Amino acid sequence: MRKQIFLLSSALALLALASVPAAAQSTSSEEGKTDKNWSAPETPWGDPDLQGTWTSDDTWGVPFERPKQYGTRRFLTEDEIQQREKRVEQSQEFIDKGGPAHSPAVAELEAKEKGETPPPAQGRYGRGVDAAPVPGHWGEFARRASPLTSQVMDPEDGHIPPITPEAAKLLAEKQEMRRKQDSYVDWSLYDRCITRGIAGSIIPVIYGNGLEIVQAPGYVSIRYEMVHDVRIIPLGDKLEHAGSGYRSYMGDAIGHWEGNTLVVDTTNFLGKTAIGVNGDFGPPTSEALHTTERFTRTGTNTIDYKMTVDDPFTYTAPWSYEFPITHEAGYQLFEYACHEGNMAMRNMLSTARMEEAKKAAAAAKQ
Amino acid sequence: MRNSLNPIILAAACIAAFGMAVPAAAQSGGIPRTAAGKPNLTGLWQAFGTADWDIEDHSAEAGPFYQLGAVGAIPPGQSIVEGGDIPYLPAALEQKKKDYANRWKDDPEVKCYMPGVPRATYQPFPFQIIQSQKDILFAYEFATTNRLINMGKPEEAAVDTWMGTSNGHWDGDTLVVDVIGFNGKPWLDRAGDYTSDSLHVVERYTMLDANTINYEATIEDSTMYSRPWKISLPLYRRREKNARLLEFKCVEFSEQLLYGDLVKKTPDSK
Repeated sequence: MRKQIFLLSSALALLALASVPAAAQSTSSEEGKTDKNWSAPETPWGDPDLQGTWTSDDTWGVPFERPKQYGTRRFLTEDEIQQREKRVEQSQEFIDKGGPAHSPAVAELEAKEKGETPPPAQGRYGRGVDAAPVPGHWGEFARRASPLTSQVMDPEDGHIPPITPEAAKLLAEKQEMRRKQDSYVDWSLYDRCITRGIAGSIIPVIYGNGLEIVQAPGYVSIRYEMVHDVRIIPLGDKLEHAGSGYRSYMGDAIGHWEGNTLVVDTTNFLGKTAIGVNGDFGPPTSEALHTTERFTRTGTNTIDYKMTVDDPFTYTAPWSYEFPITHEAGYQLFEYACHEGNMAMRNMLSTARMEEAKKAAAAAKQ
Repeated sequence: MRNSLNPIILAAACIAAFGMAVPAAAQSGGIPRTAAGKPNLTGLWQAFGTADWDIEDHSAEAGPFYQLGAVGAIPPGQSIVEGGDIPYLPAALEQKKKDYANRWKDDPEVKCYMPGVPRATYQPFPFQIIQSQKDILFAYEFATTNRLINMGKPEEAAVDTWMGTSNGHWDGDTLVVDVIGFNGKPWLDRAGDYTSDSLHVVERYTMLDANTINYEATIEDSTMYSRPWKISLPLYRRREKNARLLEFKCVEFSEQLLYGDLVKKTPDSK
């Protein structure tokens, strides 16, 4: 692979497909059932209360689309959950005992200092020099084994419907660009620190999965840690979206309540973001994109989140994905000053120009 | 001017435009209040004037690009600093002058970096306040900057950031926000008024009526100023029928500036 340096977008695509361990717990809907005293809380003004800090960590490792062996089965069996639980325990050990030096290169240096033999590189991070993609304390992991076979649940087989020929063309063009280092536009909107879009901001990845919900009479607002995105969702049954001449990456959202469920209707997209990991995995969506999200609090520490994607320019049929987001003690959002700290962009582009210059100089000598 | 804040008209306009309930227990003296009796700051707000160009007195001036003529020129403004001038220590004033001379290159706003506090308040873009029964969200249109005001037990800054760590409480009808943990990188305006990581800002938001907030901020930094000093200016509610926070993700507008020198040159590129 041309790109030696770890690239979040492409590597995350691989990591998302590998089943990362998750610990055991009942599904989000069961949490409410087992606690008989639980009833959905309300804000002082009588709206269902979804407020707090939430994370999609527990779905990290669940494949986005369903592996074929599960067919139309949406949930794992008890045995399969236990297998996942084992891997969650392993990753918890990794966090507890791996220490700050998850990097084999750092471990090697430390061993050298002490005059010891460096430990063998461990687990999935043992892939080479500084293979740990992030310092250990950045990484987020599932705390429980998710019972889901996949995030996509509609259609029944857990697979995104076929994309249109136009979308396939755009996807091919995008993939061609990602292979280049000619300009900043060759990079994903995420790596450029612009946005991950509304789907990419909640689909779990290796860190930055947190979001905060703050409500006021007439509004629900959601702020996402990565990339410090925010959506203001006015509530009402007769609201109108912005005019079609105004478009944005995060779209224009309108919400209303259906019982305890917040239903968010979003239009006015610029397109370009993908409904997938980090808003870049998959074809770019179009201006025709129309999403419907449903947020339902199912327990003290759980909200069930479902997104339905309708983009006839990109997909041949609507489809949905669904997973719980949880509240975790001690989990907080931090400022994600992505663009302000985007050293990678200059490093990658300058390296590419240097490599080209070297090649040109070598060719000139012949 | 006739007071156009008739609460009934305001409520009807809100319901017609957004179908949203104007908070109950509202309109004592025109100030909307929450069920807990506090002023309700929820809404879309914006400062007017030209403080983002320069928070001190400034005359109209040509801009950096004559090609933009009047559109690219700098408008005049009166100081929002109480007392007129920022009480710089001599060394800090020298640095400010250097920054002023290099402002088109060095102002972090040009690069679409987060503006910090208080600059986010008076940039020429609106911001949305979402006031819950607990914490308060400020969402600024510029660069989708946002911060959550912790209204519970004050928290320490875990790490230095562009927007700082905000702890708030009510002082009567005034929302007081204490901001610490800045990283020293934002500027206060486009005129080279830089900050350091010792910056400490205390903001005060007081509703004068349903559509106006009096905003004050006390700025303290003993490494830069001879004493704490204060800015103040009104904030106005955006009252267009369909007013909403729009998206100004300006990173794309700064990329050619920041990375253009590293873009691969093609035969027909300059």
